[in-house]
Amino acid sequence: MSQSTPDTNIDVASVVEDVNLRRIGHYTLIIFFLGFFLLPLVTGIMTALKTNEAIARTVPFMPPLGGGFTLANLEYAFSQLSHAFINSLLMAIPATIINVLLASMAAFGLTMVKWRGQLVILILFLIGIFVPYQAVLVPLARFWNNTFPLADMLSPLFAGIPLLQSYHADLVPLIITHVAYGIPICMILFRSYYQSLPNSLVEAAKIDGASITKIYRRIILPISKPMFGVVFIYQFTQIYNEFLFSFTLVSSASSPEAPVTLIIPAIGTSTSGIDFGIRMSAAFLAALPTIILYVAFAEQFAKGLETESG
Amino acid sequence: MATHDTTEATDSTTGPSKEVVTWKTKLRYFLNSDFVRSSPYWGIPFVLMGIAVYGGIGYNLAISFTDYAGIGRPEFSNLSLEMYRTALADGSFRQAAFQNFVLLVGFTSVSLALGLFLAVLLDYGIRYKETIQTIYLLPMALSFVVTAQVWLWMYSPGNGVLNVFVTALGFGSIDWLGNPRIALAAVIFALVWQFSGYAMVVFLAGLQSLPSDQFEAAKVDGASTAKTYIRIIIPQLKQASVGAAVVLMLFALKAFDFLYAITGDYRPPNGTDILATLMVREAFQYGQWAYGAAIATMLLLLSLSVIAPYLVYQYRQGAL
Amino acid sequence: MGSIQLDHLTKRFGETVAVEDVTLDIADSEFLVLVGPSGCGKSTTLRMLAGLETPTAGDLYIAGEHMNYRVPQNRDIAMVFQDYALYPHMTIHENVRFGLEEEAGYTDSEMDERVEEVAETLGIDDLLDRKPGELSGGQQQRVALGRAIVRDPEVFLMDEPLANLDAKLRAKMRTELQRLQADLDVTTVYVTHNQTEAMTMGDRIAVLNDGQLQQVGEPLELYHEPANQFVAGFIGEPMMNFLHGNRADAGFVGEHIEYPFDERLERAVDGVDDLVLGVRPEAVDVRRADESSAPNLGPHEFEMTVSVTETHGDQNILSLTHAAESVDHDVLRAVTDGMHIVKPGEPVTVAIDPETIHVFDGKTGKTICNRRIETARELTI
Repeated sequence: MSQSTPDTNIDVASVVEDVNLRRIGHYTLIIFFLGFFLLPLVTGIMTALKTNEAIARTVPFMPPLGGGFTLANLEYAFSQLSHAFINSLLMAIPATIINVLLASMAAFGLTMVKWRGQLVILILFLIGIFVPYQAVLVPLARFWNNTFPLADMLSPLFAGIPLLQSYHADLVPLIITHVAYGIPICMILFRSYYQSLPNSLVEAAKIDGASITKIYRRIILPISKPMFGVVFIYQFTQIYNEFLFSFTLVSSASSPEAPVTLIIPAIGTSTSGIDFGIRMSAAFLAALPTIILYVAFAEQFAKGLETESG
Repeated sequence: MATHDTTEATDSTTGPSKEVVTWKTKLRYFLNSDFVRSSPYWGIPFVLMGIAVYGGIGYNLAISFTDYAGIGRPEFSNLSLEMYRTALADGSFRQAAFQNFVLLVGFTSVSLALGLFLAVLLDYGIRYKETIQTIYLLPMALSFVVTAQVWLWMYSPGNGVLNVFVTALGFGSIDWLGNPRIALAAVIFALVWQFSGYAMVVFLAGLQSLPSDQFEAAKVDGASTAKTYIRIIIPQLKQASVGAAVVLMLFALKAFDFLYAITGDYRPPNGTDILATLMVREAFQYGQWAYGAAIATMLLLLSLSVIAPYLVYQYRQGAL
Repeated sequence: MGSIQLDHLTKRFGETVAVEDVTLDIADSEFLVLVGPSGCGKSTTLRMLAGLETPTAGDLYIAGEHMNYRVPQNRDIAMVFQDYALYPHMTIHENVRFGLEEEAGYTDSEMDERVEEVAETLGIDDLLDRKPGELSGGQQQRVALGRAIVRDPEVFLMDEPLANLDAKLRAKMRTELQRLQADLDVTTVYVTHNQTEAMTMGDRIAVLNDGQLQQVGEPLELYHEPANQFVAGFIGEPMMNFLHGNRADAGFVGEHIEYPFDERLERAVDGVDDLVLGVRPEAVDVRRADESSAPNLGPHEFEMTVSVTETHGDQNILSLTHAAESVDHDVLRAVTDGMHIVKPGEPVTVAIDPETIHVFDGKTGKTICNRRIETARELTI
């Protein structure tokens, strides 16, 4: 003990110095990366709040000062997008709900019983996550436009529903498409959760005389509430942000049923180039719902991503 | 119990049961079994997904063998590999495939490296970790479309942020997306900005799942922090790296949205055309359905070549 | 009523045989303990009874009815799991009531009454509004029991229900479970790897090893008349001593001990060469060696040295090595009374009465002869 005391003294001193230097370096890096990730976003928001004159004159990420400040761009962008917001939500909310429910059921069905051949089903689901949408785009367009024009069939019906317009019927094929292609990833998210539940829970319920349906409704569904939160937020963000399906199935950005993502690349464009004040306003408004969701449920969002990589 | 056959009874281990079970009993048992009762739960979603994904792939494959173009219906009487031959001989296809490869490899490796670096940065006992992690991950919440707008403005040759920096340093303004030689790098950079946070989250989860006593043991052994990470911690993140890499590659394969949204047109900036944009352009702008379908099939094969080893790896790890 | 028959029951998982050709009759209201080391097939047997596994071959009857083709929901059984498997999102009341909902003939208020009645029996009536997560292990255990008895089933199945409790609580619950079973008078099959639980709780015990039924019998029958070496070694704590060796003219010759046979043993081992002698540690008689005089040993007495002494208070367990050999090889373990303290390194004289010897066939492990019980007592009178 007595021998080691001088050693420790020296160590403590050097360690303190070392730690301080390292800490400073460490936090400098962290702050640098905060800047890296935030700068483009800050730039976008600042630009959205500036007059065209201020955009041309000032450094893009500086806040608008004095006469440079305006809400006109945001107001204009909102007036252009307000319809599209409704379309996006009308599409994303039902699609996410159906998607999450079906995925949870599929995961339950596949974890409930072990049987040979199950692996094949599972692998088919897994590959479904990874298929690039381009590989089904031509058939998809043909199916909804020529083979089974569901939107045309439904539009007279939708015209009769209060608060809905006949063009909202065009969202139905989009909803079904999103559900079908969203099932695999959500199924895998639920599956990893259900696998972590103890087997005995389901077995106890069986011995208690519960049918499979009762086990799902009374045991599995209530227990997986937190996972429903995770998957719902993840999938809502995915569907709300999705572009390619809308691009393929909605005739153009100027169609009344166009969702937000479809309109953004076309907004604020004129012969003299892009009006970035309007473009940034629109981008900011479009991103707002998912950013709010994300900030409010950051933990669930991160959890969904962690599970996704297997 | 009534029918007791002595020969059967002595043949005990493999002998048939003495109970006479009618096929009705067996059928009822089968219909009551978990297998049957649980099949609608996975069956309905599976059929829906199966038609959409595999039906779609099959139909797409069939179309790719025809010469379907323009308005009308595909003609399946005369199938050939013509479209694939045309594609492989076409310079713009080859260029798109090459650029696709560069995007795939460049984006994935840079995102992984940056993600790992950020994860280690945040793993090492800092304050406000949660908040910082949330901010690093924030771009993930945006759509490709919004990211494209933000970076279009960042890269703007006029008054974009990057050029503000570049001119402040005394250089001339650069047209980042307009110059075909740097446009792809600029696109990769923007995508890394959006997705490196994802790699970070996966690595952080991997780091946190490691028992902390390894780190302490290394410390006791006198290893420096850097050495501990490089020699002990990072090699154990193999599983996380593989998972993250696969998902990142798939993001890269879906980069169509981003490229389309930059120009608002079927044709992305010069030098950034990839298979996805080429396919959509051929099919939906020019009505070359069969040709587009053929390109899509090759894109699918590219994806499968990424996933198949991953699935095999997962299966071997017992993770399926 | 709740009798159970297992008729040549076999379960294979692919290549591995989990349960092999088990035939067993369990009487109505009997408490049967299935015991064996982990992986012996006891849990698989129980799960087949529950309907959670399908037998590969053989038949299964509960209350005289063929069960092979019946799902667990229709078997009128209740099961207590090792991890209790309480539904974490439900209150205790809802947990206990859950199984009752599927029983015919209860109105809503009758169900609630029944739940309260059962809760009172088990002393958990003040916990009914809580969730399982707020309960201690012992309380959760009671809830699991409550969930089983509330439906008044034909058969109780228990899969290591006490394994997750600490030692004190386990001993207490053991008695309580026995009393409960006696009160309810329901056939019970109880799986455990713990021979003490098996001995203290079972009306009868069925010992399994490697998927095969070794012996079924009352606790003392298994203790005194084991059917083979495995049962002899498994039942009883501390474990029976085994001495491996061969038949010789005078009797038995082992690595460490030569043991002359008396007439009874001589007759029993007739013709068998490869032998294992078994003697319970309680039957090994240890006394201090008489150091002063030259050893005057009988034919069944040996000089040994104590290598380790385990003090238990009521008794001491001594590990004994042969005096002539190095200390690192224990030959026997002996139980002595607690007041009789022997220090490690002390020389002792060990006596083994031939009446207490079990002999097993060294090749098959089958019992050749067991110790004498009745006659031994008569002789001492």
